[in-house]
Amino acid sequence: MSVTTAEKPAVRTTKVLPSPVTGQEIVLVGVIAILWVALWVSTPAFMTAGSIQPLLVATAPVALVGVGMTIVIITGGIDVSVGAAIMVCSVLTAKLLVDAEVNLGVAVIVSVAAGGLLGLVNGVLIAYGRVHAIIITFGTANLFLFLGLQIFGSGTVNGIPGTLAFFGRGQDGRTFGVPHAFLITLLITAAAWWYLRHTAGGRHFFAIGGDAQAARLAGVRVQRRVLLAYVLTGLLVGLASCFVIAQGTSTLDQSVGSGKELAVIAAVVIGGTSIMGGRGSVLGTLLGALLVQSVASGVTQLGWSSQLSDLFVGIFIIVAVGADLLRARARRSR
Amino acid sequence: MTATAERVRQRPDVARILLTQRIPLLAVLIVLVVVTFFINDAGGYLTAPYDFDYMSAALINAVPLAMLGLAELLVILSGRGGIDLSVGAIVSLSGMVFGFAYGEWAWPLWLAILATAGFGALCGAVNGFLVSYIGFPALIATLATFYAYKSIAIVINNQQPISTPPIQDLFSLSKSVELPLFGQYIPDVPLGIFTFLLPTVVAVWLLLARTAYGRRLYAIGTNDVAARWSGLPVRDTRFKAYVYAGLISGLVAVVTVAQFASARPDAGVSGSGMALPAITIAVLGGVAITGGIGRVAGVVLATLLIVWLNAGILLAFVGNEGGQYQLLALGTVLVFAALLNGLTNRRYGGTS
Repeated sequence: MSVTTAEKPAVRTTKVLPSPVTGQEIVLVGVIAILWVALWVSTPAFMTAGSIQPLLVATAPVALVGVGMTIVIITGGIDVSVGAAIMVCSVLTAKLLVDAEVNLGVAVIVSVAAGGLLGLVNGVLIAYGRVHAIIITFGTANLFLFLGLQIFGSGTVNGIPGTLAFFGRGQDGRTFGVPHAFLITLLITAAAWWYLRHTAGGRHFFAIGGDAQAARLAGVRVQRRVLLAYVLTGLLVGLASCFVIAQGTSTLDQSVGSGKELAVIAAVVIGGTSIMGGRGSVLGTLLGALLVQSVASGVTQLGWSSQLSDLFVGIFIIVAVGADLLRARARRSR
Repeated sequence: MTATAERVRQRPDVARILLTQRIPLLAVLIVLVVVTFFINDAGGYLTAPYDFDYMSAALINAVPLAMLGLAELLVILSGRGGIDLSVGAIVSLSGMVFGFAYGEWAWPLWLAILATAGFGALCGAVNGFLVSYIGFPALIATLATFYAYKSIAIVINNQQPISTPPIQDLFSLSKSVELPLFGQYIPDVPLGIFTFLLPTVVAVWLLLARTAYGRRLYAIGTNDVAARWSGLPVRDTRFKAYVYAGLISGLVAVVTVAQFASARPDAGVSGSGMALPAITIAVLGGVAITGGIGRVAGVVLATLLIVWLNAGILLAFVGNEGGQYQLLALGTVLVFAALLNGLTNRRYGGTS
């Protein structure tokens, strides 16, 4: 598996790197293409800018958090507290926008910093407390929810100004018809792809996920790397929270972020990242998030109950991971 | 290192027992929580009296929590990353099945309960098949079925709950009753404790501690490969753990429907759902997430601790603040339980 590639100085000998795109990504591109064509044929309105643009905007937060989650899962961990962390960051930022009337830059910086801080809490507990990531993040999810609800006070945050419209659905949120939120997500995904594939630091994440003990003996500072993975996730959660506020109405209610952690994990595993660690790709995660959102959009456009899209998400997870299992079995028997 | 270990072994002090054995620790914590709230109550700091009647009435919340905690116990024990995220969705979906069978088609109650439990077991069998026979990681398989079951439960009756008269009459199942013989000396106890919780606790305990299947489950959870080379039916054993978890979730569905007097399509997944609290209870009860370690008594005591702690917190704050501080308490307890596990693993070489 990729452990062998990670232990060698991967930067200089590009031959040992896995191919730039994995089979899973090609399959996902194919599935998304077929889905889009099918939707186009059944409802011609689907292939218009008015339908694709909201789809891309809605994909952005899940895909962005998914980039961080992919790195965390590559190290063999998991973070189920991102939904609650989104809630904390978005309510904090929304309150600032309403009460202090801060500008776009300050709002983004505060949100990202808050997210990074929450990620730091997770990272310190997991890297230095040496306990299972899923347990710790279940715990911190409850703590973050408490924090978020305390900031909410009672009820909702009302009258959020349009400061964040740069990331929103409207005309201000697009350049040449491309939504800024999606463009930023694309750029960050590309940067993360390069970082994970072409730098020693990036390869270390794979080494840790493959075998943490071997990575440590090979000189990887495992605890710092693990800490970094959770902090990165937190920073991206902060930015994604700005997207979430921008996409919503002028009112933010307490259900914000609820269930997002499972949506993000679903996008990551559909994208072909192994939950056991050591293998994965942020490109796949972006495609996974796009597929999930396309299905949700398609189900509504066909006039079916919107709840039905969850059934398809479940089926896609089974099919995607099942295909991956079969490929792994084929690799072993070769 | 060995010298320290030697000294520790020779001096079995209280601290060591509390750190390495989860059950005494939980017992001490329960006493602490109850005494703290009694003192607060005597000082008049609570909005309503915290007494034995109140504690007994709060036990109604322990029924679904402890049962699902036991379901997670079985699944997590089976090892290889065993976990079941779909229990809440199974509760929703089996609850709808129960609603149809008893509320719409007017089946006799025993048959409807049997069918619901059977349907839950079928949902669990899908999980078990994916995990044990196909080889899916449990987290992924149950995440997928969580989405699928949740979606079907909501779509099946067009997002509408079923609350026909027979279902509404079931509410009597969740009322408190006076026990026969010595009932007048102790507070009334919620009926669900005797009809559902105690039978489940006894059944799971018998299964784990008194049957060959239970021994096999601990064996495969401790070391999958060793169990296979010893000729144990590893796949079959792990498969059944998920089936039993589904069966228990089906029974919880009946309890939940009775409690709400309505079969709600989102019963097990609304808010943070039922799966996360159940996993929390299991971990708090000393179940090792790596498999092979965990006891029924730990899960039961952990449930009592959380239920009585939550009940007290509700009285200590006015309005919806209490619900928020329950989250704080649950998160803090879970993080400390996990850190404690990590500490004892390094200091004393692990719990039993």
